[in-house]
Amino acid sequence: MQWLDALVQGLLLGGLYAQYALGMALMFGVMRIVNTAHGDLVILLALIGVSAATTFALGASAVLALLIPIAVLLGWLLQRLVLNRVLSADPLPSLIATYGLSIALQNLMLELWSADSRSLSGGGIEADSFAVGPIFIGVLPVLIFLAATVMSAGVDATLRFTRFGRSLRAAASDAEAASLTGVNPKRVYAMATALAVGMLGVAAVCQALRATVSPADGPAQLIFAFEAVIIGGMGSAWGAFLGAMVLGVAQSIGFRIDAGWGVLSGHLVFLAMLAIRPTGLFARRA
Amino acid sequence: MNTMTIDSMAATRAGSEAILVQRHSPSSKISGFLMLLAFGAMLSMPWWAEAGTMRAVVELSCYIAVAQVWNLLAGYAGMVSVGQQAFVGLAGYALFVLANKFGVDPFLAVGLCVAVPALVAIPAYALLHRLDGPYFAIGTWVVAEVCRLFASTLDYLGASSGMTLRAISQYSPEAREFGTVWLAAAMLLAIVGGSYLLLRSRHGLALTAMRDNPVSAASQGVDVKRLRFLIYVAAAAGTGLAGAVYYLSALRISPAAGFDANWSSICIFIVMVGGIGSLEGPLIGALLYFAADRLFGRYGATYMVVLGVLTLMVALFARKGLWGLWAPYVDAPWFALRRRLLRSSSLHPTRPQSPT
Repeated sequence: MQWLDALVQGLLLGGLYAQYALGMALMFGVMRIVNTAHGDLVILLALIGVSAATTFALGASAVLALLIPIAVLLGWLLQRLVLNRVLSADPLPSLIATYGLSIALQNLMLELWSADSRSLSGGGIEADSFAVGPIFIGVLPVLIFLAATVMSAGVDATLRFTRFGRSLRAAASDAEAASLTGVNPKRVYAMATALAVGMLGVAAVCQALRATVSPADGPAQLIFAFEAVIIGGMGSAWGAFLGAMVLGVAQSIGFRIDAGWGVLSGHLVFLAMLAIRPTGLFARRA
Repeated sequence: MNTMTIDSMAATRAGSEAILVQRHSPSSKISGFLMLLAFGAMLSMPWWAEAGTMRAVVELSCYIAVAQVWNLLAGYAGMVSVGQQAFVGLAGYALFVLANKFGVDPFLAVGLCVAVPALVAIPAYALLHRLDGPYFAIGTWVVAEVCRLFASTLDYLGASSGMTLRAISQYSPEAREFGTVWLAAAMLLAIVGGSYLLLRSRHGLALTAMRDNPVSAASQGVDVKRLRFLIYVAAAAGTGLAGAVYYLSALRISPAAGFDANWSSICIFIVMVGGIGSLEGPLIGALLYFAADRLFGRYGATYMVVLGVLTLMVALFARKGLWGLWAPYVDAPWFALRRRLLRSSSLHPTRPQSPT
């Protein structure tokens, strides 16, 4: 029974990872770049949320409403000021630029918030749970999971059915050809990054409610997002979602075997997937 | 590409006059002499320098070595890694295990333990090369994290508290300083000298072509895949050597320090600020980083914010770093890598033929 419990808790943990992974899959799919500061942006947003909540006595939903516009703005600025200048077939410039940004952000957060772990109070919701047979399920993890499902469906539907989604897919497969048909790649890129980082606003609130955040946590979140994307298969929202589930379950089961093996088993499943099925579970042609 | 130009030029002029290829320039001769002088000074340090100075020089040598190797990897072979700490830690731990648990002489163990990162690099590359450029980079980080977590869970390696190099106590402090400085000098000779010889060779021509454009290099017959694999494994061994020398000097290793992502930050900062894709850049960058660390390291987080922003600025506005800003104005390479064609009759140089 404890394994069934591990499975359920792992799927719920995967909900959080799916929220990180969606943005990374979107940005890589569209621009072929990885934002190394992805995880640090989650932490930055979460810390802003925690500070705002304590300063203005805000509830979790008010923090969410505040963080999403901030995140969208951050994403747009990131694209305009940094990423648009380093887009190229060579992965080096964008990696180095965002790596530098990541180091700067981590240490800036350390200056502003100190190394303490902080969390957001959800007014008791974080402690609520209900029983399904012998397994206790937290209300908050279920809400996070549902949010991740809605976000994945939203991204998938946006890519499939909207005008923005069509121009995104067009810019992703061939930026020059897309611009000939009236798509402005730079504008599409800025919107994609704004959307990707905007989703990190939701992830930041979920992370701060569910666990704690401290300035040095960013790289771990970056790696989890990356593993989820690769396990799931590139270029698909549901792929990232599914990859996050696999990662969450792997970590949760590993943790039951030995407390030191939680994160490690996630890495090992990722490496095994790379060996067996490098295109990922949900591989799809771009 | 270069050989073709030289060959075709040689062919058109055949009969009238022979073509000589000149590789040294006055600047490369002067800097070569200065580097030999510095090397000699380093070897003689045990007779005149204080222990603190020697430790500092060993530390600087390790920075030069990891950066030079990262430059080959990212600057020439086009593989950006943010997981070089995997190899620093692996070699460090291998050194401590060989010396403490198997009774191997610590100085001999530094040479032997390089095999461990090289052996781990082979399967790591087999998995990681399947990932697209930017994803490759994050993948190298995962490998480093796997190594760190393994070291943290294994009681044999002292788990999260790490190990102390007890075996070194068989040597007097003077003998340790002597051995460490000479090993560091040998490491510099192997890595800087080795990179220089590699780039002067036929493979260097292939690497330079890959640096400039991997696709056209492949179309000219360069086996890009094979060369990438070899460079990755050699870089693992080189980074491991630097890690082993560093931890031989530090005498303590822990998973958090040996597999610290800061090793990659150091590589990236040194190479990007100094100038990627040149041998001179990492040397300049390492000296700069070392000086900055001594002068401003005490400002902690603020100093790191400045380093991070500086790296970002270099990536945005000066992608070839300081050497790239300087070299177009002052044509004075420190290493004799280019080929200059001379007519044997007049010995007047024609235009320079090879990129440096």
